[in-house]
Amino acid sequence: MKNKYLKSKCGYDMQGENQNTEKSRITERVRSWEKYGGWTNLKPKGIQTTLMGVFSLVSITIMLISGFVMYIWFSTLSREETVQSTQKLMEQTGESLEDYLVSMRQVSDTVYYNIIKESDFSKQKQEIQSRMNLLYEANKDNLRSIAIYNHYGSLLAAEPVASQKEDPDVTQQDWYIQALDEVENMHFSTPHIQNLFDDGTQHYYWVTSLSRMIEITDSGVSNWGVLLVDMDYADISRMMNQINTLNNGEYYYLCDSNGEIIYHPRQIQISNGLSGENSSLAASHKDGVYEDDFKGERRKVIVNTISYTGWKLVGVIPYSAFIHGMIDVRYFIILLMLLTVMVLVALNRVVSARISSPILKLNASVLEYEAGEKPEVYIGGAEEIRYLGYSIQKSYEQIDELMKEIIIEQNERRKSELDALQSQINPHFLYNTLDSITWMIEDGRNDEAAFMISQLAKLFRISLSKGHTVINIRDELQHARSYMNIQKIRYKNAFSVTFDVDDSLYAFCIVKLVLQPILENAINYGINGTDDCGEIKISGKMENGLIILSVTDNGIGMCSEEVSRLLTDEKRVHKHGSGVGLVNVNNRIKIVFGKEYGIVVESEPDEGTTVSICIPAVLYTEENRKALEGGNLHEKENEQKKEPQRE
Amino acid sequence: MKNGKKIFILVETFLGLMVFVLVMFMFLEKNEKKQEKISVIIQNSDDSQWAAFKYGAKMAAADKKTEVFVVSTAGSLSVQEEENLIEREIANGASGIIVEPANGEKTEKMLKEVEKKVPVVLVESLASSDGTETKMPVTGADNYAMGKALAEELLKDCGGNIKGKKIGLVSGEENAEAISERAEGVRAVLEEKQADILWQISDSFAEDKEKNSMEQSEKVDFIMTLDNISLVAAGECSSTNNLHGAVLYGIGHSMEAFYYLDTGEIQCLVVPDEFNRGYQSVAELSDSLRRFMKKPERNTVSYSTVRRETLFSKENQEVLFTMSQ
Repeated sequence: MKNKYLKSKCGYDMQGENQNTEKSRITERVRSWEKYGGWTNLKPKGIQTTLMGVFSLVSITIMLISGFVMYIWFSTLSREETVQSTQKLMEQTGESLEDYLVSMRQVSDTVYYNIIKESDFSKQKQEIQSRMNLLYEANKDNLRSIAIYNHYGSLLAAEPVASQKEDPDVTQQDWYIQALDEVENMHFSTPHIQNLFDDGTQHYYWVTSLSRMIEITDSGVSNWGVLLVDMDYADISRMMNQINTLNNGEYYYLCDSNGEIIYHPRQIQISNGLSGENSSLAASHKDGVYEDDFKGERRKVIVNTISYTGWKLVGVIPYSAFIHGMIDVRYFIILLMLLTVMVLVALNRVVSARISSPILKLNASVLEYEAGEKPEVYIGGAEEIRYLGYSIQKSYEQIDELMKEIIIEQNERRKSELDALQSQINPHFLYNTLDSITWMIEDGRNDEAAFMISQLAKLFRISLSKGHTVINIRDELQHARSYMNIQKIRYKNAFSVTFDVDDSLYAFCIVKLVLQPILENAINYGINGTDDCGEIKISGKMENGLIILSVTDNGIGMCSEEVSRLLTDEKRVHKHGSGVGLVNVNNRIKIVFGKEYGIVVESEPDEGTTVSICIPAVLYTEENRKALEGGNLHEKENEQKKEPQRE
Repeated sequence: MKNGKKIFILVETFLGLMVFVLVMFMFLEKNEKKQEKISVIIQNSDDSQWAAFKYGAKMAAADKKTEVFVVSTAGSLSVQEEENLIEREIANGASGIIVEPANGEKTEKMLKEVEKKVPVVLVESLASSDGTETKMPVTGADNYAMGKALAEELLKDCGGNIKGKKIGLVSGEENAEAISERAEGVRAVLEEKQADILWQISDSFAEDKEKNSMEQSEKVDFIMTLDNISLVAAGECSSTNNLHGAVLYGIGHSMEAFYYLDTGEIQCLVVPDEFNRGYQSVAELSDSLRRFMKKPERNTVSYSTVRRETLFSKENQEVLFTMSQ
């Protein structure tokens, strides 16, 4: 059951190993590609950077949109408010103007209905004059003069009393003509210089005339005439000046129903051509708010009609005035946005750090683990990340346990393989040797039999070696000598053996019983088939930190195909010997010392064969022996070799 | 320091800088709203002849959003007095000066010194030391043309024949450049027609010496006055029949001049556009103060001929309007 479980684990691990190898290969490719300028810009960012970037981008976008919307909203509101306040101001001013004009109409009505209609000019001239004087005195703040003209244009009465200019010819003056044009109405003229009286001040007055046709009774005869009430333009001017105080380009003007300007803050500039006004268009409008484009300037024009006169009070708000009013708001919104973005960026950093910190710590734990350390896996942060930490920690613990199990299992397997290989040597050889000894004793060659037994004893002593797999080279050579001595007796000195091994090699480690199968092969395949006296030479030397032990024979040799099959074909049928082939020896060396060590075979047909054992120079100590037998030394060496690669 | 932290600090610093710049910008903009101050120095500034000029200057100040201050002066100024006034105005923060140059040889030199400190615009012609007209910027009507126009009006009234007619010229300070130019214009026309210019008198008007001079001078058919003060003084003489029946023509720009035209004391009046003189001089100076490298330039304003019949035309009513402000 356990074996099954381990097997499946191993299978899983092998699969995982394959996957890891594939993954690392892909990673390598990606790295090399990036190195040459591949995905440098699309390199995945850290989680905190990503979070912060996304948060900041979203918050800045929202800020920009809300700032823009806020500005539009504010500007629309401000525009509406400006228009509304302008309308209110215009309504108030319009009412003031109407009040003023009504009071002038009342003066005119009073003069006409209470004075002129009730009096006869020839009989009551004095009374008319004094009553006009009373009326004038009561309204002189707003009035310039009151005058009554007959149908010839001659002055009948005037207040204040002043000398009439020499031949002013009132019949040619606009106010007189207008009064005659529509006899039932009162007429308000546009402002003009009063050209009627000479009060001795050498001054000319700017007036607005209210004229109407009247019925005059003179000596009982009724006739028509014209009543003139000249209003001081300064009053209208003052009212308009009061609202024309804004410095942002907004202004108000007054025009009659034909667009003739009555008051304009830039009246003379307009007359001189220094400025202009779209008054005729404004005069054609009914009361309301209009869009206007005058000389390339967009404006809002608000029109308010003054009752009784048909005059239009016009308010003009250039769009630049709206912008002027919004400049401060614009700065304020930009400032607000900048400060909010500053705060948001800081807040985003804190939030992203809080979110990413547990993940980063967990990642650091994983990286440390991958680097070969055994850190405490970070467990903290949000519930999901804590669970992830727990899970990773548990996985690592399971992996560790499995790794330990696998190592133990592998060691055991190797040992059993080694033991199995070594155990293949003994039976056949022992049978042949004992057969030879028997034969010697029967033949009475007791000395030779005794020598052979002693050599066999040495052979087995070394073969046993307290059950060690790794022995020193001295013992291995002794084992080889004993074996060759036995074989020489068996083969009746059909070959000669020479040992040429450097003494300095004796103290190094070697896998037990590796020379013997090679020597056996040399005897069986190299010497046995030849008629000449065979020669087998065992040599040993140190080359570049490696120990090379070679067995050379002068036998029949092999072709290159056979040489190549020698170390690969495990199923090869041995014609002679113990059946322990070079494959066996080669495997044992590789198991103990590593895959880069083993046997090298060189052979030429009819020339002989050289089989060389190549092993690392490891001094024979108890510690090294144990390490080699446990496979740890070999693993340590591998790790030491890998380290520089990682660095 | 990690990259993320570096970027964070950089972004915050950048935003902080932007806030600082914006606040500074707002602060500076508030301060920038301070208006330039232009001082106007004219002789006898409260006289009615300057009413239209001052109204024009006021309108230009409103249009150009500039502050204009008319220095109060009584009577004519000497070069030294004018210099003192200019220095005082500059010390009080005047960014530009509009000045009616005092009559004197050193005036141009003095004004050129002033011009090194602040831009200056003259509202009357000024003779240079070499006798030619100054190259300093002047805003005003063409004096020579006005003189010619006045003489041509006389010529028109006489049916083109004024041969042998006796004419007297009256002006303020004779050696003033404007008066000289106007007289030159008048003479150019009249002398060509062989009119007899018997005399030209000039005097200080503050003491009514001119009136006396005019009354005591030899009897002439026509008197032509070359400036507003002389014209008003002559009009007054005429109203009291002290001109011995001489018909009066003149150059003037006050309501009194119009009044005497209206009452028939003056036959014809040539009126320089004083509103525009005031408007243009302030506008020109204001532009030069606001525009880098822009220097004030010479501006010529128009003039009109007014007779009693056209006194209350729409255009002339507007002239009277500017004078009544």
